[in-house]
Amino acid sequence: MARFPSARPADRFRASGSKRLFPYLFTAVFAACVVFSVREAQVDPRVFLEGDALGNVAKFVRGMFPPKLDVEFLGLMAGPAIETVQISVMGTAIAIALGIPLGLLATSSLTWRGVLHERTSRTGRWLLGVVPYAASRAVLSVFRSIPEYVWAFMFVRAVGLGPFPGVLAIGVAYGGMLGKVYSEILENVSPRPLETLHAAGASRVGVILYGLVPQALPNVIAYTLYRWECAIRASAILGFVGAGGLGQQIELSMRMFQFDEVLTLLAILFALVASVDFISGRIRGWVA
Amino acid sequence: MYELRGIRKVFADGTVAVEDISLIVGSGEHVAFIGPSGAGKTTLFRLLNLTLRPTAGALIFEGQDVSALSDAGLRRTRTRIGTIYQQQNLVGRLRVVHNVLAGYLGRWSAATALASLVRPRDVAGAGRALAQVGIPEKLWARTDELSGGQQQRVAIARVLVQDPDVILADEPVSAVDPSLAVSIVTLLRDLSHESRKTLLMNLHSVDLALGHFPRIVGVREGRVLFDVAPDKVGPELLAELYAGHRDEELQLEQLRDGKVSFGAACRPLPGFRK
Repeated sequence: MARFPSARPADRFRASGSKRLFPYLFTAVFAACVVFSVREAQVDPRVFLEGDALGNVAKFVRGMFPPKLDVEFLGLMAGPAIETVQISVMGTAIAIALGIPLGLLATSSLTWRGVLHERTSRTGRWLLGVVPYAASRAVLSVFRSIPEYVWAFMFVRAVGLGPFPGVLAIGVAYGGMLGKVYSEILENVSPRPLETLHAAGASRVGVILYGLVPQALPNVIAYTLYRWECAIRASAILGFVGAGGLGQQIELSMRMFQFDEVLTLLAILFALVASVDFISGRIRGWVA
Repeated sequence: MYELRGIRKVFADGTVAVEDISLIVGSGEHVAFIGPSGAGKTTLFRLLNLTLRPTAGALIFEGQDVSALSDAGLRRTRTRIGTIYQQQNLVGRLRVVHNVLAGYLGRWSAATALASLVRPRDVAGAGRALAQVGIPEKLWARTDELSGGQQQRVAIARVLVQDPDVILADEPVSAVDPSLAVSIVTLLRDLSHESRKTLLMNLHSVDLALGHFPRIVGVREGRVLFDVAPDKVGPELLAELYAGHRDEELQLEQLRDGKVSFGAACRPLPGFRK
């Protein structure tokens, strides 16, 4: 039963007082931050004009044209390109496998809070609810707060060079993000159908299958596809630390000053990202 | 069926929704609950369907004190209580057949429930239930494509599939077109009469309650004000029930003067918020 407490006059007066001051205060603080950051981050466009900076840029750009398009090179690069897609697919698959169970546990409306648990015994709510909830939240936040680049660096040490550390890095870092977002999507579904099923004697699994999943699925699919797009880009970056794919080739060509190869590789990467974007857009339109 | 002894419900924020209610409802009885908005009727129904736990007092269902039930026992008891809510308690994205078959969830294993989402189990049973509520052709429709009245019929079909001993209907018609309200109330009454189910209905419209139920319970400020046969519910009693609730008082006046027709009184009143 929702109740709508009316705002008391005293509250309203105080609110409008602080509201009037807020924009000025905010602008002042923001300006101070910008000034401070410009100095500390050493933002200085003049360095472009110093010494041979512009010359280096020109050399880099001139080296890119014409891009290397001979059949032999393109054939050689087909492997890494496919490998990049494979890393992103496998990484996303692992991320989903980690994200779904952790995300479900990290959803407070499923584990301990709200009307579904009104009548669950107190110890049951703590042991099966609050503890797994807090633990999975902690795990998810560790997973996603360490950048995938750092994860890749650690996994290269652990399992050696190649695509596998890249897969693991994307799986763990993105698993943390997917789990967090899944739990947010699940907490924002309408609780009414859940309460109805629960009141009719449905088990926890029944409530999830018939109330939660159908409501959340479109958003879950859309966000997972978006993460897959990000995984393609990330798998290119991960190559820089030796985790395979196109990124490793870009890094090699850069080091050899073969900028014509770099341009070709960037074009391939662009094509990959664009096609993943296109495919996921179609699927999202279809499930909505 | 139900025995309530001094039931009280205080929410976590300190609001007292149900002050002190004692009540006995026999098996197969039809009872209507009326009273102003905020009287605690919806909370009472959520206590009756074992969603909420009373702060104080004893709730006895079929001779069993429900506070003594284990989690599993609670679930089994819930399958015997069917609830129909005001609105929006179906999953719009699912097809009608799945929303109806969800009535089986109290009996199905998790594997059966999952398999039925891929390939619906008892399609014939769902079809029969929909035929009983008058919309057999909507079996495969997407639920959010139905009108409010049709969705309420789907909710009733789900309760039929659940086949409980008691049906709780919490304001089942305040969100549907007034002209359909009478037909939905009579449908619920007749269906529970045929299958000898107990029917408790929360109604915002006094004339619907008086016209279709042999026992009327008036609830005001979380207490039972009266519990009588409809012919005993006179203007004084109603005036006392709704005292201080201007919109409802106005509605009563217009009812008495014959200015409002039977169906129009079912419409949610202007000051009525959920």
